[in-house]
Amino acid sequence: MSTTTLNHSIESHGHDHAEVTGWRKYIWSLDHKIIGLQYLFTSLGFLFVGGGLALLLRWQLAYPSTQVMANGDVGNPLSLPFINPQFYNALFTMHATVMVFLVVMPLLIGAFGNYLIPLKIGAGDMAFPLINELSYWVYVFSGVLLLGSFFVAGGAAASGWTSYAPLSSVSAYNGTQIGQSLWCVGIFLNGLASIMGAFNYITTIVNMRAPGMGFFRMPLAVWSLFITAFLLLLAVPVLSAAAAMLFLDLNAGTSFFNPANGGQPLLWQHLFWFFGHPEVYIMILPAMGMVSDILSIFSRKPVFGYRAMVYAMVAIGFLGFIVWGHHMFVSGMNLVLSAAFGVSTMVIAVPSAIKTFNWLGTLWGGSIRFTTAMLNALAFVLMFVIGGLSGIFMASTPVDIFVHHTYFIVAHIHYVLFGGSIFGIFAGIYTWYPKMFGRMLDENLGKIHFGLTFAFYNLCFFPMHNVGLGGMMRRIADPTAYEHLRALQPINQFITLAAIGLGFSQFVFLWNFFRSLRHGKPAGKNPWNATTLEWIVASPPGHGNFEVTPRVYRGAYDYSVPGAPRDFIMQNEPEPSDSPQGKVAGRKPVTAG
Amino acid sequence: MKLLETPLMTRTSSLRGLAFLTAFALTLVRAQAEIRETSVWWLPRNVNMFGHDVDFLFYIILFLTGVAFIGVFFAMILFLIQYRYRPGVAAIHTHGNNALEVVWTTIPAVIFLALAIYGNEQWSKMRRQTPPANALPVAVVGEQFGWNVRYPGPDGKLGKMVAAKISKENPFGIDLADPAGLDDFTTYNEVVFPVGRPVRLYLGSKDVIHAFYVPEFRLYQDMVPGRVYDFVWLKAEATGNFQLACNQLCGQGHYKMFGKLSVVPELDYETWAKGKTPPPVTMTGR
Repeated sequence: MSTTTLNHSIESHGHDHAEVTGWRKYIWSLDHKIIGLQYLFTSLGFLFVGGGLALLLRWQLAYPSTQVMANGDVGNPLSLPFINPQFYNALFTMHATVMVFLVVMPLLIGAFGNYLIPLKIGAGDMAFPLINELSYWVYVFSGVLLLGSFFVAGGAAASGWTSYAPLSSVSAYNGTQIGQSLWCVGIFLNGLASIMGAFNYITTIVNMRAPGMGFFRMPLAVWSLFITAFLLLLAVPVLSAAAAMLFLDLNAGTSFFNPANGGQPLLWQHLFWFFGHPEVYIMILPAMGMVSDILSIFSRKPVFGYRAMVYAMVAIGFLGFIVWGHHMFVSGMNLVLSAAFGVSTMVIAVPSAIKTFNWLGTLWGGSIRFTTAMLNALAFVLMFVIGGLSGIFMASTPVDIFVHHTYFIVAHIHYVLFGGSIFGIFAGIYTWYPKMFGRMLDENLGKIHFGLTFAFYNLCFFPMHNVGLGGMMRRIADPTAYEHLRALQPINQFITLAAIGLGFSQFVFLWNFFRSLRHGKPAGKNPWNATTLEWIVASPPGHGNFEVTPRVYRGAYDYSVPGAPRDFIMQNEPEPSDSPQGKVAGRKPVTAG
Repeated sequence: MKLLETPLMTRTSSLRGLAFLTAFALTLVRAQAEIRETSVWWLPRNVNMFGHDVDFLFYIILFLTGVAFIGVFFAMILFLIQYRYRPGVAAIHTHGNNALEVVWTTIPAVIFLALAIYGNEQWSKMRRQTPPANALPVAVVGEQFGWNVRYPGPDGKLGKMVAAKISKENPFGIDLADPAGLDDFTTYNEVVFPVGRPVRLYLGSKDVIHAFYVPEFRLYQDMVPGRVYDFVWLKAEATGNFQLACNQLCGQGHYKMFGKLSVVPELDYETWAKGKTPPPVTMTGR
């Protein structure tokens, strides 16, 4: 098909699928907004499942069922006897698997990606609506397989979400029967869903932007999802291939990874981390993009250094593919190789630093509104800074060999993935909920939810740095088995209680979310006085999004333009011929919009 | 941490947080914590010669990242207060500043590169430095779920170890044709090092990946099966009792795969070693 016909068919498609109505809408609608909401509800459901698994494993760490008491009795009175060591291994394996593949990726990419991309670029829908819906159902199926594996003989996969071979590739070693194979199939299908989403997003963004929406007029949220889609397309197939090989090792007698039959365990690690490190950025870039936009909206200021932000994300995307080896410093890596990975890992911290400074620059000189969305976005910045800085320790090989596989790294990853991605997701939900459902979330409940989450989150995860430095290994079912860790046990109990607090705080969010569906204040088209295209249509937008394809006249961040009648100018507002165009910078009073 | 929460927390949450903290404090008092030589909140003591470099680098990074965090944190708080919404005061309309972009790209780049180069230098030093001739060779082979340890006999030499020969019957992959191995003795989950004398480790695994981890030695090494790691060495600078923990998930019994590791005066080591006899012929681990 030639480019012209391709473009033509894509442009004309917007309305070629009929609107599905009633309950069927939520099963088999091809509308990107409905698919986005399907992703949102499903992955929020999985968030609670993954959180529940986390609380179970935290309980075991505080009150181990395997503990031998001072008087010789086995078991702690508070312990849960059904958590045996094998089940504990399955718990942390599946906690990470659920959170990474069924929660954070689908929330950021599936929910926000689907919902926001067409609206923000002025398109009627995604380029391939059917593949979009298919991607959702494949994702659901992968989730069912992964969670269903808890109920098969031998239990769920128990060799960690990293599934290092040969532990994962030999059933006799990992103690499961078909759980590990189901994990492989689940991950393979989940990857398929990601790949379908990725090329759909790329096609949509490249071909279906509204007239005037140049690449450098796109909001950073769209840029971040665009770059993320490329990372998905290049990284996920590698994981899928690795999962397929692992499946064959387990079931077909091959020996890719088992040295006993001539395989190479490090092959798995290379394949896994070649996916695994870009994956880290897949899970943070979209949150970075959304947070950039949210900081701008609620500071009433353009994003500081918009192009620098774009280039920084592109740099992260490139560099993200050449740092995977830092996960393998401890496997006995050649010195030249570890030097190269050490340097690339330090270098990738630079674009992250650039982004942080630009976020601060966006706040500087603003007129800051402390909405719940803004509080979550600010928490994102601060927590991401902590998570990023603690990564420097691991980038330095000698320190890495000390903190590797301790709770320090557990703290690090949760500062990036919860402190970063999840706060970013909350910020996104509080910002775009009014667009999605036509009603506002309750701000007071929102602030209570934020305050509790922020406090418990830090009480839970910050001390993990300390127990890690104190020498506590990750992935052990009973820290009290170790003499050198017994003294740390009160801190472990502290962390567990904070985790429970963190878990229960989320019910405030849930209550707010469902209550506001009916009782929230009506949102109107543009409750935040924002500039981008999704805010020019009704909330929620109708099928096909825009009655007339909008024309874009300006970048996404014309806030507080001096001389303008309001403190925001929407992207589809033509340039008034008599306006003094943004030449003067100064803090002049303007009428609020 | 307290600093982190104050400015953004709502009043309700700080009250609840306080209640929770009190509950935590009670747990701390009641708990039967064993005495640890160093604070439970910080690094355990270091007893390995190489550990000093690791700790030094750790503190450099802690200082740099600490300064960076405090800078970002206070800048943010300052901006949030100074530029909060006030009626009649508009935001400054600016799209950025290229000079600033250059500055805050260059400075972190220089610092990070310097850190990378310095860290790498330290790492090469640790790895390239060959162990002294008087180093005591000790072989440690992990298995689900325990440690096979092999020491040289009176000849001071370990029998040759071949990764491909590691098996259930021959956990150390010993070449039976090598006479140096005939007087070696083995232990299980028991490691004894002489203080002040370099120890050269030969690490391997019988089944899955295990990891040799002793926090007080600032030492972690994966033991991927199919390979013998011969570059790790250490020198204990103080006596004491420690735990050798497996730190790579290795299955159901992973959490209790640990051995006793003692560092003793050289004479005590000699006495201990003299009491051990080599196993007959097959030299299995147990």
